[in-house]
Amino acid sequence: MTWKNTPYNPAGSWKIDPETPVFTFEGPFFIDLLTMLGNYLKMMTSSHQAIQKKLFRIFVELTQNVSNYSEEYLQINQDNKKVGIGELRIAEDQNFFLLTTKNLVRARDANVLSQRCEIINQTPADQLKDLKRELRKSSAGYMLGARIGLVQARLISMNPLDYIIFEKNMDYSYFKLTVKFDKDGEY
Amino acid sequence: MENIEINRNVSTPYYPSVYFDASSGMCEVSGESYMEEAYKFYLPLINWIKKYTEEEKGKLTLQVKLIYFNTSTSKCLLDIFELLKKYKQQGGQIEVTWFYDKDDPDMVDEVRDFEKEADLHFNIREF
Repeated sequence: MTWKNTPYNPAGSWKIDPETPVFTFEGPFFIDLLTMLGNYLKMMTSSHQAIQKKLFRIFVELTQNVSNYSEEYLQINQDNKKVGIGELRIAEDQNFFLLTTKNLVRARDANVLSQRCEIINQTPADQLKDLKRELRKSSAGYMLGARIGLVQARLISMNPLDYIIFEKNMDYSYFKLTVKFDKDGEY
Repeated sequence: MENIEINRNVSTPYYPSVYFDASSGMCEVSGESYMEEAYKFYLPLINWIKKYTEEEKGKLTLQVKLIYFNTSTSKCLLDIFELLKKYKQQGGQIEVTWFYDKDDPDMVDEVRDFEKEADLHFNIREF
């Protein structure tokens, strides 16, 4: 498997015409809410069979990363559980869908995340599959981490991860990640 | 040994259906699996397989009919496959069949990855 030759601008977002939002959400990423949004996403993409499953797969991975790792969160008292707060946007253009999540991270983690994205973007597909297997095998089940989800996003979309970091203050930044899915016929 | 039976609930579609039958060794996981803290859901299943392979020692047949699973679930599935591999190496009889949707090429890739990673033979069948 080889990567498609897609335009990528590492310094910013995709350079495209304004696309139509399918939906946007900002708030706590409760799994039941994400399930509802995921069902809506499946419905809205039902005419793009090849892309529908890809979008849903990565929708789950990225939103669960926000739910698990956002530094802005709701504490659910009954079992000390945290639910991450963030933003989600799905948009559609004539030729592709864009899936974007944004959440608060520690400044030092933002650097780690950007390094990971760079490595993932520069790694050939076959080596990335090896990395995914290695990550899965070496991680404890309860702490698989966000990295495997990022690897999966790159492998499934076959497009580079488009990320931006906005500094909030000395300690925290916002991490915004966009994954592009080309429409039917290109997979 | 008791059976495990978990029926899919429409209000929590992120949990799969599970049926593990101790008398026949037939185990089936189906539906979708993208719950939070997947290891909490899968730990009783892993423990059941451990007990079956240590006490019952019969043939174990696993049928995977998942149309979608998240990466946390994939780690738990790998743990199950490692148990099956160990059982096979000890002389146990196992059979793994993975059903997939022919319109989902990523799932086929995923299953082949698993087969390589787990170092087990899977029967790969269309739904």
